[in-house]
Amino acid sequence: MIIKHKNKIRSPEEIRNNFEKLGYICSDAIATAVYLACQLQKPILIEGPPGVGKTELAKKTAEYLSAPLIRMQCYEGLDEAKALYEWKYGKQLLYTQLLKDQLGDVMKGAKGLDESVERLHQFGDIFYSEEFLETRPLLQALKEPDGAILLIDEIDKADQEFEAFLLELLSEYQVSIPEIGTIKATSRPIVMLTSNNTRELGDALKRRCLHLYIPFPDPKLEQKIIASQVPELGDELRDQLVGFVKELRQLALKKVPAVSESIDWARALLLLNVDELNREWVETTLNLLLKFQDDIEIVEPEINQLLSNMRKSARH
Amino acid sequence: MQKVIGDFIHALRHHGLPVSPAETLDALQATQLVGLDNPQTLKTTLSLTLAKSLQHRAQLEELFDQYFQLQVATENSDAEQEDDSQAELDAKDSDTLEEQNNSQVSDSGETDAAEDSDAGQLMQSPLGQQLLDDDQSALQIAIASAGQAQGASEMQLFTQKAQVSFRIMQQLGDQQLNQELAELAQDDGNLALVESVRQARTRLREQIGDYVEQQYLLFTKKSGEQLRESNLQKIKLTNVDHSHQQQMTRLVQKAAKRLATLHSRRRRVTKRGLLDVRKTIAANAAYDGFLFHTKWKSTKVDRPKVMVLCDVSGSVSRVARFLLLFLYSLQDVMPRVRSFVFASDLGEVTDSFDKDEIEVAIAKIMDEWANRPTDYGVALDDFKQLALKDIDNKTTVIMLGDARNNNGDAKSEIWAEVYKRSQRVLWLNPEGRYSWNTGDSVMSEYAPHCSIVEPCNSLRDITRILGSLLQRA
Repeated sequence: MIIKHKNKIRSPEEIRNNFEKLGYICSDAIATAVYLACQLQKPILIEGPPGVGKTELAKKTAEYLSAPLIRMQCYEGLDEAKALYEWKYGKQLLYTQLLKDQLGDVMKGAKGLDESVERLHQFGDIFYSEEFLETRPLLQALKEPDGAILLIDEIDKADQEFEAFLLELLSEYQVSIPEIGTIKATSRPIVMLTSNNTRELGDALKRRCLHLYIPFPDPKLEQKIIASQVPELGDELRDQLVGFVKELRQLALKKVPAVSESIDWARALLLLNVDELNREWVETTLNLLLKFQDDIEIVEPEINQLLSNMRKSARH
Repeated sequence: MQKVIGDFIHALRHHGLPVSPAETLDALQATQLVGLDNPQTLKTTLSLTLAKSLQHRAQLEELFDQYFQLQVATENSDAEQEDDSQAELDAKDSDTLEEQNNSQVSDSGETDAAEDSDAGQLMQSPLGQQLLDDDQSALQIAIASAGQAQGASEMQLFTQKAQVSFRIMQQLGDQQLNQELAELAQDDGNLALVESVRQARTRLREQIGDYVEQQYLLFTKKSGEQLRESNLQKIKLTNVDHSHQQQMTRLVQKAAKRLATLHSRRRRVTKRGLLDVRKTIAANAAYDGFLFHTKWKSTKVDRPKVMVLCDVSGSVSRVARFLLLFLYSLQDVMPRVRSFVFASDLGEVTDSFDKDEIEVAIAKIMDEWANRPTDYGVALDDFKQLALKDIDNKTTVIMLGDARNNNGDAKSEIWAEVYKRSQRVLWLNPEGRYSWNTGDSVMSEYAPHCSIVEPCNSLRDITRILGSLLQRA
């Protein structure tokens, strides 16, 4: 797709630098993946723990290439009527009622049943034409004249049948509508699928995609991310914050804090005018980082230990 | 480049990564785009296109480091010998290879030739000259091409390593060098030279050893394991010895997981549910919008309900471990399995399987229930009280046992009742058919009340039978 943006996707480094300008700090692997997806016109399957910026990547790519972002959220029971297309039944019915009167004119002068049917045939399938087609995200992405970024979010939540249904779209960039035929993409969209790994995806789907795993960022990258998202935060506090979150991730928690939680926390600390992390502040704001009461109960008695660990590793 | 990537993928497959031809093509296209200059980018690119899960990705990265560290040498050799590629193909013919070596030496050795001219004249054999020149990259190239000719990447067993190293050494012209060294050593004036060449030769031998070792790790080590695994699948459960139990545990878990992913999520359209407005209106458009035919849209996850009875008495004790192992794995991956074990008394162990780790659970069960004389009569009585009322026409009952009843009352009428109530009854007997009904085995009394009676004494049998069971469930 997007021939007019060829110059924006010349190399992974360029993509990374430009993403940085847009406020999305990414690793080499991510930049390479976006580069290859654009060049090879292949979908990317993005996996990783929640909150590391999987969905954000699609948004930023759309922003960068100034293409429309079409997002489809998957859930159990999602079917083609909601994902691909739907007939406008109301309109169809209304039109049949309205056109009933016209029928007399059309049939005027026809002799016998055969001729009448013959005449009716000339009109073709008026009611099953694109006029009556309600496009849903997938079809819309294919019809977008300048290409689009199609984000299929949390594909693991959809049923296996839906996954199989996607295969044609992902490899051929076309879909089949029984009443009309095959619709090909006017300009191939860039497809990104995200998965939280609640179930194993099929091999057929994986084979058609580039597979990108986004892990928790290393402390350096995370500092950069927070610096770009919450620039007002002081350097020292940011170091402490990232160090503390890193310590938290070592614990066996139900849900370890991801990047999005670190950013939220950074914003909160800024609002509260905190200038150094200490036990009290951590205790009062812990619920921003941890989303389960069980986790909070595990962490609370450990806070002092964690803080001292953080200071130790900061000194090294 | 194609060959390099192709070989790498070959190595990946050896280590169990399922790389399809389509992915191979993707990888080639992608590498063409990013080029081979930056190893880090290449690594990322290959892991994006070839590894489709976290575990595979780690494997790929490890192999990448191993492979390309070695590949640097071969890569160079490919480039240098491009014009001479036919010769490389015929490299088995050691004459051509020596010619190549000669030419390479004359290429790379020119600069050093002046200094070592004295020694160089004394050393006539090509290998000797190469060693004197001490041109590491030329030597690496020679080793790699000789290794290819001698099938270093096609070794089957680790015992072949020494042989292959020896053959590579031979091909490089070791024999000739040896003779020459012996001749030179007779003259006292040459001792220093001979000594240094001998040292270089030892170093070369070590290098070859390393090279062969690496080839073995990349291409061969796993195939031995695969061979062993496929043998283990076929072996009789009674004959598996202790040293293989670890591996067997892993295999069993793998098999159970495969079965469950294949079958646990099948859906069946049920007759009634929510009204499917879309389909209903579409189906009735022909009737002027009057809704004559209703269409329903409920689908229902149809998971088979399974009860498994496992005999853990002395007569089947060797097999029981594996049956329990399989049962445990099955219960792990399928939601509605109830497990019972018995020797004489019967008890439900579903909870114990749920709570404990596999080793602990099995040890506990063997401790509590096993080592008692078998009594199918008592066991079936218990089963009747515990679970008979829960059996309905969607339940599959599986019995794992040898039906050796110590001449007690078989109580086959209970089994008949079970058969009547359930959808299907399977009896898997770890003994071969020929030994049924001999001695105290009462298989013939139960057999009429079973849908399927099968001997089952290897892992492959278990997977096959349960696979077909789940398919129809």
